[in-house]
Amino acid sequence: MDKGLLAYLLIPLLSAVLIPFAARARRRLADVIANVTLLAGLANLAWLVLRPSMISGGFADIPGDGLTLLLVGAVYLVGFCVTFFSAWFMEDGTPNRQAYYSLILVSVAAMTGVVSATDFFTLYVFIEVLAVTSFALITTDDSGRGVEGALKYFFLTFPASALIILGISILMLTLGSLSFDNLRIFMASGVPSSGPVTFGAALMLLGFLIKSGVAPFHTWTPDAYQGAYAPVSAHLAGIVTKISGVYALIRMAALLHFFDGRALALSDLLMFLGMLSIAVGAVAALRQKDFKRMLAFSSVSQVGYIVLAAGLGTPLAIMGAIFHLFNHATFKTVLFLNSASLEKSAGTTDMEKLGGMEHAMPWTSWTSVVALLSTAGVPPLSGFWSKLLIILALWQAGLKTYAVLALLFSIVTLAYFMVMQRKVFFGKKSRAAEASAEVSAPLLAPAVLMSALIVALGLLFPYFYTYVRMVAERILI
Amino acid sequence: MNLILIPIFLPLATAAAVLLISERTKYLKEILSSAAALVTLLAAADIFLQLPDVQQLSLPWIGSGLGFTLRADTLSAFLLLAVSLFSAAISIYSFSMPDKGSSKWFFFNLLMTQAFAAGAALADSLLVMLFFWEGLLVFLYTFIVLSQDSPGARRTAKKAFLINGVTDLCLLVGITITGYIAGTMNMSEIARNKLTLDYGWSVFAYVLLLIGAVSKAGAMPFHTWIPDAATDSSSPFMAYIPAAIDKLLGIYFLARASVYLYQLNGAMSIVLMTLGAFTILAAVMMAFVQKDYKRLLSYHAVSQTGYMILGIGTLNPIGIAGGLFHMINHATYKSCLFMTAGSVERRTGTNDLSKLGGLFRLMPLTGIFFLIAAAAISGIAPFNGFFSKELVYRGALDSGHPLFFWAAELGSFLTLASFLKLGHSVYFGKLPENLKNTKEAPFSMLLPMAALAAICVLFGFGAHLPLERFIGPALDSIGVRHGALAGFEAGKLYFLSVIVILAAVINHMLGLAAGGGKASKASDHIHYAPVLKEAYAMAENRVFDIYELGMDKVVPVVAKAMFSVDRFFDWVIDTAPSSTAGFFSEASERFHNGSYPLYLALTLAGALVYILLAALNGGLK
Repeated sequence: MDKGLLAYLLIPLLSAVLIPFAARARRRLADVIANVTLLAGLANLAWLVLRPSMISGGFADIPGDGLTLLLVGAVYLVGFCVTFFSAWFMEDGTPNRQAYYSLILVSVAAMTGVVSATDFFTLYVFIEVLAVTSFALITTDDSGRGVEGALKYFFLTFPASALIILGISILMLTLGSLSFDNLRIFMASGVPSSGPVTFGAALMLLGFLIKSGVAPFHTWTPDAYQGAYAPVSAHLAGIVTKISGVYALIRMAALLHFFDGRALALSDLLMFLGMLSIAVGAVAALRQKDFKRMLAFSSVSQVGYIVLAAGLGTPLAIMGAIFHLFNHATFKTVLFLNSASLEKSAGTTDMEKLGGMEHAMPWTSWTSVVALLSTAGVPPLSGFWSKLLIILALWQAGLKTYAVLALLFSIVTLAYFMVMQRKVFFGKKSRAAEASAEVSAPLLAPAVLMSALIVALGLLFPYFYTYVRMVAERILI
Repeated sequence: MNLILIPIFLPLATAAAVLLISERTKYLKEILSSAAALVTLLAAADIFLQLPDVQQLSLPWIGSGLGFTLRADTLSAFLLLAVSLFSAAISIYSFSMPDKGSSKWFFFNLLMTQAFAAGAALADSLLVMLFFWEGLLVFLYTFIVLSQDSPGARRTAKKAFLINGVTDLCLLVGITITGYIAGTMNMSEIARNKLTLDYGWSVFAYVLLLIGAVSKAGAMPFHTWIPDAATDSSSPFMAYIPAAIDKLLGIYFLARASVYLYQLNGAMSIVLMTLGAFTILAAVMMAFVQKDYKRLLSYHAVSQTGYMILGIGTLNPIGIAGGLFHMINHATYKSCLFMTAGSVERRTGTNDLSKLGGLFRLMPLTGIFFLIAAAAISGIAPFNGFFSKELVYRGALDSGHPLFFWAAELGSFLTLASFLKLGHSVYFGKLPENLKNTKEAPFSMLLPMAALAAICVLFGFGAHLPLERFIGPALDSIGVRHGALAGFEAGKLYFLSVIVILAAVINHMLGLAAGGGKASKASDHIHYAPVLKEAYAMAENRVFDIYELGMDKVVPVVAKAMFSVDRFFDWVIDTAPSSTAGFFSEASERFHNGSYPLYLALTLAGALVYILLAALNGGLK
């Protein structure tokens, strides 16, 4: 465990315990406690990273390996956006507020635990905690679809847990230790009989692939995201599945030394699955009729980019993967929160029934445009830079086919999002658009904040690049 | 500021200012434009008078050695002076002209044309010249299309734009190749080491330059928009662009290309002279039978270009001097003639020869100016046209191909004959009843006509003045060595011209007799002569008009072919990808049906394959 960031794990856990007691009489207190906890954490993190002295020093004094801190930041950011949004989104009575916020905070604590773990067993424990909170969160509003999504999530990802624990045991037997450092040193030493260790790692990787929703293990994502309670979808798609699966993939890619040609077969496999995921997600998203379901497939596709880059494992690719992970958290949160706003205002996310919503909901429409352009990698938004890094890394490594395909599918990304924007927001005013109005300012605030962040990260890319390069250097030593 | 920039930037700035002025103000735009034109004229005169101190300007432009270079050598300065003079004359002429279209846009187009023409005249770099030259194309289009709100004007504007657009494209290619062969775009540098027509590429480049130049000047077969513009646009436009600016620039660049940039050979000389002679004869034949004042003049504008091309094509100093002298003379009298047409049209409301007559008594000044200009164009001594044609004749004789000389003389005969018909039917003969109350043209229209008529007289009686002050130094500046150019001699040529005059008068008498005394029918005995009748009928049906032919025959076929090519590309970039994507996404939609067993089976199968692969590839060794 990285002790420096322990407070970010414990405080939300404490708040989660506190909420059911403190907010028993006054239910709104649950909102306040959750929001204050996360906002305080966010402010603290911002002070830690964004001090002028820190920026001018090239982020050299960041504690730990930097990746942890960045992802704790992302966790808190998305968590705060979701709780803030939920505070105004939830109607009185349903669902159970105290439980909801407690679960969110526990999941934030668990994610902090995941990213600050330094050995595989701790990682595994926190990932399981996270999975349990996620099942519960998906069913927040007790609807049939929520339960179906939660069940699918549970039953389709339980093999993952089994595979991870199997992999951990093999690793324990062969390596004698579960700490990241031991694996790193083992891989760096180039011992010839690395077979069993690699196989153990391969099993763990498979578990994380399933948890990330990479094709062909993606089948749970559309149902889980679509069925989940609206703000929970944003939480789940924006950060939870990324931390419980994709983060571990990047971490292991670095530990397994893909960049010096170790475990080549695994690296190839990972890249192939990444590309497959990009293709399957994008192609499936093209014909979706439901906004949330389209976003779910888009997530599959975007996760594919991260896995592709992680599988390549060169420093540039790792930078691209980390950056894309962070960007994905920003733009996917915006889009899912906007889908929640649509659901609240127009009562549906079915794209056939929507249309011309920009007249009724201009802010929602335009934040969606920013987010979708960033997803598709249009300059100067942040998504452009991360995709550029990934494609450049692929090209440099001589994988021109993958580079060209990655570029091609980002055009498909633009295509399906344009279809979405056209069907939902632009065009003639539908009956739904006439009946609905823009949601209130507090509901818009998270989306606007995230959109601003997308633009700012795109424009201030040099600073962010310095940070990400520092991270890549530290975790690839 | 460099003096050389004034003729370009003053009109540009004024044009912009004119657009800001409300359409309702009276005379403000007119005063502004005329003032700008007059100041420009003064600046141009100053540039000319400072010679032999050559004004030049060189600014960095698009990099890699391609500078924005302007250079006012004698030929350019002379041309600039002419451009400014005609711009000033037309500005004043249009002062109160009602049927010139929106006066805001008229003056905008006028000033923009002036600025770009000045730029083209002054440019030393071929690229800079091309820039201004192509700019003129835009304002040619807007000028015609805004002069009248009629389908005819739009059609003719399109025709003018397309014809000139295609030939300008030729010019562009020609300039590119020339610059590539020569290694520089600056004309003054190319001239130091002239290009020769010894190999294919340079012949190709020269021919392209030639096409660009003669089409600007309005030679056959690129002339067909001019007669159409005569009926579809305003008199000031005709007097300004086809009569003056286009001739000046086209012949200027023809002289530059043929003498300054390239060293031509005998074969190319024959080509040029043939083109000139053909233009003279074919256009004048058409002019002779026209029944419309402006349309008749417009064919003459084409025909006279032939003399200039013929003169330059002789490649001897006398001929070139004749060509350049004829260029300035033609601009003067043809501009004046179009102005008289405009005056008559304004006062009587028509240009139809059969409805006019006897106007000399009612519009004596216009009539006198017409007579002077008509005498000048017909080459009657001692007006300016006589002297320039004389030079062209001498040049043609000296070239050793007397055939071209006879063609030119025949052209003169028909020119005079058609002006006898025109003058007779408009200014003499019987005055129709409805024109009894016709008034003389206003002062603002008479003044420029008077000035131009005065130049016709001055350049005639004192022909040595322009030849010694303008044409001679201009020839020097483009490196043509020449002897004495001026001098009237009552030799064979003079007597021949007297014979031509007499023949034309006799022809006119014959025509009158055949046409029953009506002057407007004085050409009918030739118009309806056995073989010519069919030829004229075909010409009237635009059978010889390459633009119409192209539009009727070639364009539909090409358009159809391009359409199918386009459909193919549409299919490649539109239908094919979307149906492929549609196929796959439909397949994926059918697969993602929410069935849990299916999903689990896929997950497990995927996991199994993964584990097998991981195990086989160095996993369990």
